Amino acid sequence: MNSITQRSPWQIQRDVVHALLVREMKTRFGKWRLGYAWVLLEPAMHIMVLAFIFSFMGREFYPGIPTVLFMLGGIGPFLFFSHCFQKSLAAVESNRGLFNYRQLRPFDAVITRVLLEFSIYLFSMVALLAILAWFGVSATFNDFLLLVAVNLLYLGFCLGLSLALCVAGEKYPEAAKFGPMIVRPLYFMSGVFFSLEQIPEEYHPYLSWNPLLHVIELTREGLFASYHGMFANLPYLAFSSLAMLAFGLLVYRSQWRDLVRSR
Amino acid sequence: MIELRNLTKSYRTPHGRKVLFRDVSAVFPENRNIGILGRNGAGKSTLLRIMGGIDYPDAGRVITDKRISWPMGLSGGFQGSMTGRENCAFVCGIHGIWGSARRRVLDRVQDFAEIGDYFDAPVKSYSSGMRSRLAFGLSIAVDFDVYLVDEVMSVGDAHFKHKCEQVIAEKRKTSNFIIVAHAMPQLKKNCDVGIYVGDGGLKIFDTVEEAIALYQQGLPKPKQKQQNNQRPAAAANH
Repeated sequence: MNSITQRSPWQIQRDVVHALLVREMKTRFGKWRLGYAWVLLEPAMHIMVLAFIFSFMGREFYPGIPTVLFMLGGIGPFLFFSHCFQKSLAAVESNRGLFNYRQLRPFDAVITRVLLEFSIYLFSMVALLAILAWFGVSATFNDFLLLVAVNLLYLGFCLGLSLALCVAGEKYPEAAKFGPMIVRPLYFMSGVFFSLEQIPEEYHPYLSWNPLLHVIELTREGLFASYHGMFANLPYLAFSSLAMLAFGLLVYRSQWRDLVRSR
Repeated sequence: MIELRNLTKSYRTPHGRKVLFRDVSAVFPENRNIGILGRNGAGKSTLLRIMGGIDYPDAGRVITDKRISWPMGLSGGFQGSMTGRENCAFVCGIHGIWGSARRRVLDRVQDFAEIGDYFDAPVKSYSSGMRSRLAFGLSIAVDFDVYLVDEVMSVGDAHFKHKCEQVIAEKRKTSNFIIVAHAMPQLKKNCDVGIYVGDGGLKIFDTVEEAIALYQQGLPKPKQKQQNNQRPAAAANH
């Protein structure tokens, strides 16, 4: 007879997230032909379609950087954000059956989804950059450490946001309807297809509050040597990420029992 | 040991809150099997789930150092597009069973559930009987100190029922049970302590027979006056 050994809280957390990750991968990609290739193909197709539409418009968005790469640097991070946003709003409801296992709480469902989205995002970015470089579309690489810092902060930002949203999505199901209405305008305001330098300076105050804009600017700056994210502000991003993470954790901590409690 | 400390639980209904139990404290010593009975909607399953740490009371705590199972035979956690094997592997995973221990558990489930090759087919293609066999097989294949049983010992055909009873008798040597059931013989056979969940809250008895006696007070006996039935039925409608 095997028996479950007493596990520390950390081990339980690790086991649960590990099992959930495997499960999520299986349900999302296991059922199609090509299987796990879709991890890469799904974001790749999205990015490529948009990137090629813009590159056929013919104008160079940023001197010295191929348009496809410029787009990739904007669309990649944004897709990660928008996936987190939509998935976490429904995180509690779609995992309801799993909360019959006492060690599995909404936190685990959210953290798993964010981690999975994050690794898909990083993996697809690296793979797409490599593939494009293979075909000769490349730009001089700039700053690896900056990318690490930006992405860690971005992960914290999305995790905090997702935790807050999973509470909001459960408490106010109507809020889920407004999700796309918030994400859509952000798509146009976050610098996915422009750089803040190209905007007249008097409009900057209307745009630069947006942490996503800074993420995208800094990602491009880290990726391409000829990109100068002159107005990108790493301390501001760090501040808003930590604030968002703290906010998300607090909201979750104050409400989590209500998410699974029968009422 | 399982201790309930100042437990309060209520439900929201269209006519205000309905209190299931208020400020209940109790200590259940080691090695007791607990039987929970009461009318439909009285809160038996809720109490079971609170004791198992799945649901939460409005106030108060459940204190225990035991490893408590999920409700036995529960199939709500299964993902339809995954195979039976994958679903079981997932449950093993969240309980910290990996590698060769997991293979052993999976073999035991496959053995017990008797669903043959369907074990590697998506769960959504199962019949409801197969689904509950799989769920039941999985719950007994993972070892716990306390098992929660919520009226599932009646699933399946006669052969499977018999097998379940055997397995539960076997398990009772090493683990305890908390059982919600309407079948009195089953409760009498398996439980030491009785909890009656009624309108006024919980009543805890040292033997399950006393709880059964209280439960059966409200029942219309054959050849008895029907008035006995009026009061509890009206109360249940609130």
